[in-house]
Amino acid sequence: MYDYLYRIITYHFDSSTTLLGPDPTTQELKQATKENVSNHTFVKYEITLPGVSSNSVEETITLDSATRIELSCRLDHKYSSLKNFQVTWKKGNETIRHISKTEKSWSIQLEILDNSNLGSYNCTLKGEEEISAVFHLQVPKIEGKEKPIVSYEGDTAVMICKSFGYTPIAWTWYVTNGSEQNAINDSLLPDKYAINRVSANVTHLKVLQLTKEDDGVYWCEAAFDLGKSKGKLKLKVLSFMVPLKPFLAIVAEAIILVTIVFLYEIYSKRKEKCAEDEKEFDQVEQLKSEESNGLENSSTRHRKI
Amino acid sequence: MSPPSPPDGGWGWVVVFGAFISIGFAYAFPKGLAIFFKEIQDFFGTSYSEIAWVSSIMLATTYGAGPISSILVNRYGSRPVVMFGGLLCGIGMVSAAFCTSILQLYICVGFITGFGLALNLQPSVIIIGKYFLKRRPIANGLAMAGSPVMLCTLAPLNQFLFDNFGWRGSFLILGAILLNCCVAGALFRPIGAATASVKTQAIEEGKAALKEEVTKDAMEMSSPMNVPTETKTEEEGGKDCCEKINQYLDFSLFKHRGFLIYLIGNVLMFLGFFAPIVFLAPYAKHIGIDEYSAAFLLSILAIVDMIARPTTGIVANSKWVRPRIQYFFSFSIAFNGACHLLCPLASGYTGLVIYSVFFGLAFGMVCAMLFETLMDLVGATRFTSAVGLVTIAECCTILLGPPIGGTLIDTFGDYKYMFIKCGAVMVLAGTFLFIMNYYNYRMLAKEEKERKAKEEAPKSVRTENEGRNNWNKETAQDGPELEPLREEQEGLKKEVNGTNEV
Repeated sequence: MYDYLYRIITYHFDSSTTLLGPDPTTQELKQATKENVSNHTFVKYEITLPGVSSNSVEETITLDSATRIELSCRLDHKYSSLKNFQVTWKKGNETIRHISKTEKSWSIQLEILDNSNLGSYNCTLKGEEEISAVFHLQVPKIEGKEKPIVSYEGDTAVMICKSFGYTPIAWTWYVTNGSEQNAINDSLLPDKYAINRVSANVTHLKVLQLTKEDDGVYWCEAAFDLGKSKGKLKLKVLSFMVPLKPFLAIVAEAIILVTIVFLYEIYSKRKEKCAEDEKEFDQVEQLKSEESNGLENSSTRHRKI
Repeated sequence: MSPPSPPDGGWGWVVVFGAFISIGFAYAFPKGLAIFFKEIQDFFGTSYSEIAWVSSIMLATTYGAGPISSILVNRYGSRPVVMFGGLLCGIGMVSAAFCTSILQLYICVGFITGFGLALNLQPSVIIIGKYFLKRRPIANGLAMAGSPVMLCTLAPLNQFLFDNFGWRGSFLILGAILLNCCVAGALFRPIGAATASVKTQAIEEGKAALKEEVTKDAMEMSSPMNVPTETKTEEEGGKDCCEKINQYLDFSLFKHRGFLIYLIGNVLMFLGFFAPIVFLAPYAKHIGIDEYSAAFLLSILAIVDMIARPTTGIVANSKWVRPRIQYFFSFSIAFNGACHLLCPLASGYTGLVIYSVFFGLAFGMVCAMLFETLMDLVGATRFTSAVGLVTIAECCTILLGPPIGGTLIDTFGDYKYMFIKCGAVMVLAGTFLFIMNYYNYRMLAKEEKERKAKEEAPKSVRTENEGRNNWNKETAQDGPELEPLREEQEGLKKEVNGTNEV
């Protein structure tokens, strides 16, 4: 009796949706495979075929080490009216023998041992119309950084690559020189490069004593059982003059504004003083005249109210 | 000396603009730095908590250096202190651009820039009290609105600088931008003794006497009560140690009933004030919302906050609320707490958006009135020292708040306990403030009655009373344009009462 590790991922598609990329359940599957590594373990993937639609349905499966998998195509029961069709499983141009597990599902079993076993496998239903689904088998993707890392001449740059979920066997770093990619050997140039595997899934590349020539594209490559995967990083090396210009511009602006504020204050104080002197003079005059009128004025004030 | 009727306008609005910039930088800058942390963490190879210390040290220094700020303002006035603070911030960030270790970052960004921001924050708040009285809540609300506006500006700006210049270049340019605090400081024209004496001499009797009578009344009322700090500077010889210290930092405030109430209430409140903001985005991600929508929640909060602060200022300035502003403040704290308590009930993105809107509103209301209520309780003269003492006390709880929240989240694995804790603490603080302020208002009213009774007895003051009564008659018949002045007189009375010691 085979001991199957059985998980079905069922996707129901309309003509408007296609599913690409790793899905959360793949994680569980990967963990599951790690737990039970026995010769009789199959991981199952299944796609439910949409009806009569022109869109091809796809699924991406990420594998990092040797496994046995079973890929199935199943026809949804609402299309049970379809009869007289032929099912073929192909990889590229090569046809693979399949098993018909039920009346409406067909599957192939594969042993993925090395890179050549990876690729795209599709199942096609040829009847009055043609319906197909594709499984993409690939190694885990490594994410680099989309935005360039900015650093300065004479400074150090640290570039980091991470693998999510899968542990690579080894990491290698490449620097792009013109159109070539040269591997970075940190033992050869210890004053320039330092490669550090900080943890199983993370690698650091430190580039010391940066110069303009260090500017460019770097690649970090993770080696898995089944193949290699690359992540891209960009390094930008700037001279210190670059931020210095906006810095000086803003400092100049601040100094100018402070000067303007102080000058305006001195100016308005002088104006005020002149105006006050005039006012004082006027008021002194008026007080003198009021004193002579005296009581009359205050009583008039009351009367007005 | 209480300044002769603060201008309540004119150059005051320019000062509000300067304070807007200054306060904005002081509050928003530490939060805006978070964008650089990931890169710096990778660069120095440290853990996230070590980087987070930079922010904590900065915040702690900004609040902890409050008393020093107060002492300097008492001695030199707001303007030189703010300009020096701006310069210090600039120097701190420029030297941070050349740092080679995380410890140097702690010093340059944490201590030096933090201290510079402290020298920005306190004097800005103080000078508003010197320029405004009738419209002070509006001025406070507008100035405090600087914080969310600056945050909304700094966040994308920091991202732009980071993408183009890396973290070192960004720190350099940010240092230059912080020098603009010096510009804000230059706008803080000193106001007080010098300008006043000229005016009183020139317009003693006759025409504009009404305004002067208000001043005279105020001065006569205040002189028996609080010995003003500025006249003391003139008679320095032959004083004992305590008085000299009190001249720089008024420790006698600890005997002031209103001040103590405010201090206890606020220290309690800050335990739960900032934690929800820190954990809002992680909470959103935790319940399954994507990163950009989670960040958008904070933007909603900031925008509502921006509108809420000046609006609260206007509401607090209205004649119904102004006399009872302490109740309004307690209400907004309790409202804030209620929001947090209801947050765990919010399900899905729509619920969180509604929570963000109300939280932004409550947060803005509290912040707008934070310093206004303190000014209302202790009066403009003692506010300088009061704000320093309050900030250093709040410093501890502000720093403790988010880590306690974080511990709760880690222990229980659920965010709702953190919200419940914050909500409960704030509702408690709000209720405490409400009850204690009710008591305080009653005591103030009683003391006012006693003082009036005392004043009516001696003959020497009778003429003043008559004069005041006549003036009151005049105002009653002169109509609306003098109404605000009469309110001002009552406002001054309240201030003076506020300086009463228990």
